[in-house]
Amino acid sequence: MENDQDDSTEEPTTEDNEDEEIDEFDDDETTRDLVVPGEILTEDTENFLPGRGTIFNSERTKIISLNIGLKQVKKNYINVIPLRGFYTPRPGDKIIALVLDKNPVKYICDINAKEEGILKPKNTVKRGKPRGFRGGAPNHQDDSTEKYEVGDILIVKVLSADRLNAPELTTVGKYLGKRRDGLVISIDPPKIPRVIGRSGSMIKMLKNLTNCNIFVTQNGRIWLKGGDIAHERLLIDAIKKIEREAHTVGLTDRMSVYIENEKKIRGIN
Amino acid sequence: MPLIIKDEYPEKLFREDGKRLDGRDKHELRPIKMEVGVLENADGSAYLEWGNNKIYAAVYGPREVHPHHLAKPDKGILRVFYRMATFSVFERKRPAPGRREKEISMVVTDCLDPVLFLELYPGTSFEVFINVMDADGGTRCASTTVAALALADAGIPMRSLVSAVAMGKIDGELITDLSGIEDKAGEADLPCAITWFNEELSLLQFDGTMDIKEFSECLVLAKEALNKIHEIQLEALKKKYIDIQEQYKGGEKGA
Repeated sequence: MENDQDDSTEEPTTEDNEDEEIDEFDDDETTRDLVVPGEILTEDTENFLPGRGTIFNSERTKIISLNIGLKQVKKNYINVIPLRGFYTPRPGDKIIALVLDKNPVKYICDINAKEEGILKPKNTVKRGKPRGFRGGAPNHQDDSTEKYEVGDILIVKVLSADRLNAPELTTVGKYLGKRRDGLVISIDPPKIPRVIGRSGSMIKMLKNLTNCNIFVTQNGRIWLKGGDIAHERLLIDAIKKIEREAHTVGLTDRMSVYIENEKKIRGIN
Repeated sequence: MPLIIKDEYPEKLFREDGKRLDGRDKHELRPIKMEVGVLENADGSAYLEWGNNKIYAAVYGPREVHPHHLAKPDKGILRVFYRMATFSVFERKRPAPGRREKEISMVVTDCLDPVLFLELYPGTSFEVFINVMDADGGTRCASTTVAALALADAGIPMRSLVSAVAMGKIDGELITDLSGIEDKAGEADLPCAITWFNEELSLLQFDGTMDIKEFSECLVLAKEALNKIHEIQLEALKKKYIDIQEQYKGGEKGA
């Protein structure tokens, strides 16, 4: 049957998220000023407006920070780039999910958010595929949860997410589906843009120097697979270092030096 | 230095040289040390040493509410679990949460509630676990202070931090930051907390006798002490990141 050849068996990708090209930690407008909740960012409310992570005080005379993070002034908006936080699903995000449970009508997936994601069987197969000879045998995958098992790692896309309902997921699409190999590591979700870097510079550098495939997702999980365990281990150490030093300057240069040094120390090339 | 507190109270709570039993002036705070990010598995955590108090706080959330009937459809809930270790007090404390634990959990919850944006996370809960490892008076104030710090460390949006301190009266004199023995043997005890975004009182309890004039004088003195505590909180929160920044100060921006 045609459905045996499914996209979930597709080779792992080297592609990363092209649409996530802005490294907010390394933006020209981002200062190195560390701010904490309640800190006054400006008292000039005529010229500035509160953006992300900031609010007016009740008298609208000051703009105050809501998070611990870095201060950023963009046009007339004042933002705070958070250094800690949690993942909030948004429609269109590609994320790594772990199948926690399944029943005849849905899979329940852990997506590192406050609610568990729902994956319905109709969102796991392509629509409009011919069903064999003259309509032939019915497609059982269409309406049953036999495709994935509990414990599977899936790359999924968020179809819908809002404040009230559990996010709905899909595995139909490019690079989506089950991962049969590789490793998944988890970092703080706000630091994901730093792992990608400005126009993907950091992730390109990591790939070139460690010869690993990496898939970075918005919920703080990173899928990676390299030629051997030594390179994978080096990559994991490098990502943990990026997470720790996300708020410092000149990180991409420092990381390439770090990886070259570590390669010599560990005796790999 | 360990201070052994016996359950018998001295006649006088001031020494002959006019200082308090532990050598402090009337309005001097005990030495305070704060640290954030101490627990690896929590979303946010903080540790506090305030005199002889040693307190850990861990924050989880937003996450699903268990038991589910506590969840509210229009807003998130904040749950605080204040617990004392069995070895934290002079006589062994029974580990089951009693009336006092429930009360302090409640007052800390109500105290931290106004600084959070709970309406943005309907159906979820933020959970704060406070464990008192060593207690020597003023643990509800210390718990509030450390819980606010742990919430900020978890990256939960907050209007501001919260600081708390206990005021009191011993031997007819107003004092700041009561120790365990002054709390038990003194005349009055007035724990108060402030939310810094509007500078309003978020916790005010009272036990003992004091006249109105002394009461308002206490609040003025409390503000001074709270300012000092707030500064220590901010410093502790920033220190975790500034230490790493300092390490690589020479780097050029925009690499």
